[in-house]
Amino acid sequence: MPQEREYWNPFMETLPEDEIRSLQLKKFRRIFQWAYDHSRFHRNLYEKAGIRPEDIRSLDDIRHVPTVEKSMMRDIQRKDPFPYGDALCVPLEEVTEFRQTSGTTGQPVYQPDTWVDWEWWSECWAYILWAQGYRPSDRVFIPFGYNVFVAFWAGHYAAEKIGCEVVPGGVLDTKARILKIQELKPTAMMATPTYVLAMADTARNKMGIEPSTLGIQKITCAGEPGASIPSTKRRMEEAWGARVYDHAGATEIGAWSYECKAQPRGLHVNEGFFLVEIIDLETGEPIEEPGRQGKLVITAFDRLAQPCVRFDSKDIIQWSDERCSCGRTFRLIKGGVVGRTDDITKVKGVLLAPSAIEEVVRSIDGLSDEYEVVVDKKGDTDRITLKVELLPGHESDKERIEALLQDQLRLKTNLGYHLEFHEYGTLPRYEVKARRFKDLRKNH
Amino acid sequence: MTRKEELKKFNQLIQELKKVALKLNQMSDLVPSIKRNSDRVLASIRMMELNISDLVQVVKQGYPHEK
Repeated sequence: MPQEREYWNPFMETLPEDEIRSLQLKKFRRIFQWAYDHSRFHRNLYEKAGIRPEDIRSLDDIRHVPTVEKSMMRDIQRKDPFPYGDALCVPLEEVTEFRQTSGTTGQPVYQPDTWVDWEWWSECWAYILWAQGYRPSDRVFIPFGYNVFVAFWAGHYAAEKIGCEVVPGGVLDTKARILKIQELKPTAMMATPTYVLAMADTARNKMGIEPSTLGIQKITCAGEPGASIPSTKRRMEEAWGARVYDHAGATEIGAWSYECKAQPRGLHVNEGFFLVEIIDLETGEPIEEPGRQGKLVITAFDRLAQPCVRFDSKDIIQWSDERCSCGRTFRLIKGGVVGRTDDITKVKGVLLAPSAIEEVVRSIDGLSDEYEVVVDKKGDTDRITLKVELLPGHESDKERIEALLQDQLRLKTNLGYHLEFHEYGTLPRYEVKARRFKDLRKNH
Repeated sequence: MTRKEELKKFNQLIQELKKVALKLNQMSDLVPSIKRNSDRVLASIRMMELNISDLVQVVKQGYPHEK
């Protein structure tokens, strides 16, 4: 076994590829059997498809297992056993945790977990935090009001499991949180990218405090793709003088991937706990080769109360062809989650991913962190309006910035934009997840 | 010790721990403080099984340099 403590689990994280695949097959068969035996919802789904646990003999066989979509979960919930319905695999009295999805794409989905499941959630996060350099000597500040959403609950528990000291920073406004950081000198923080930037802006422009002097050394982001968007990552790292790390997870899935200290421009999939499949959006065929985008279909091997078996997450990802210098053998997805099938929309016949616009806006000095994109119709033609703010002191540079912005947007997205420059501080500010993309064509 | 031997040794100790925790759990129906705390111990043991015991069967031998 390697002597260094770089890995949360040195056995698991350095498994040779053939052993990872053997482990995944073994664990898929176990969770599939569990769902088949304990969930009426899953059993009906599999019986309709004519597939039984004994049919899974190889990883290729898994492709015949039907996928589950969020809309299917919505349909079965709020029924007996209330409120979870037919996918619940354990007696209600064994459920110790309630969470729900944010409802961004429709009616929220409820997620029950047993205590074992909850230990598993924090175990997944322990892999993340250890890989990002969290150690017992860290004091971790979490500026987030935990509630029915899973965000940062598991991060909190995992930090405790690792042995960190955790400072819960809920029910405070942004200024009070900055002051608490100044008072307690935490070394690490967890927040959404939007809020990491908003806190830096408040510290600097409303309190006269330079965030990079506050002593935060590492920041773990969740909830949005910003920490994998190079220009947004750079802005956060420069503002705080800290390393910023991404991870990806979801309420119905778990925390399934993470960036490590080597910052390999991608996220390691925790392949010991999850099976990640990338599926071609048009053909439905699996994508094994690097560099081709598809949608994520994912299985959480060890979550029992409400299993996640071949869940169609609608996230867009792609395999990386790089091996990480950290030594982990878990595969990388390049650039993190690059979008969602729900968000990627056709404008003037061209596929547009909002993250590409963010990458351009945040790469231009002189523009603030805030922006808003509105797609509507002018006559019969699609029109994209991009609203941005100039930072104070850059007003005289507007013409150059406008030309650069238009050029870069054309280059990165193949589309022309109607640009609107707004006074600094007038675009909406967000504390958790930002809603910067508005497609008004859907109202027509 | 090779990687496989190390995993086996870890697993053996985890299973011994589990046996004791299960025994405590089963005899404590009338003692909630033991019942609920041993439930939590068993959940932690489960995490060790996911980290170690699951690997025992799939790991072939030592690291490449140990073969």
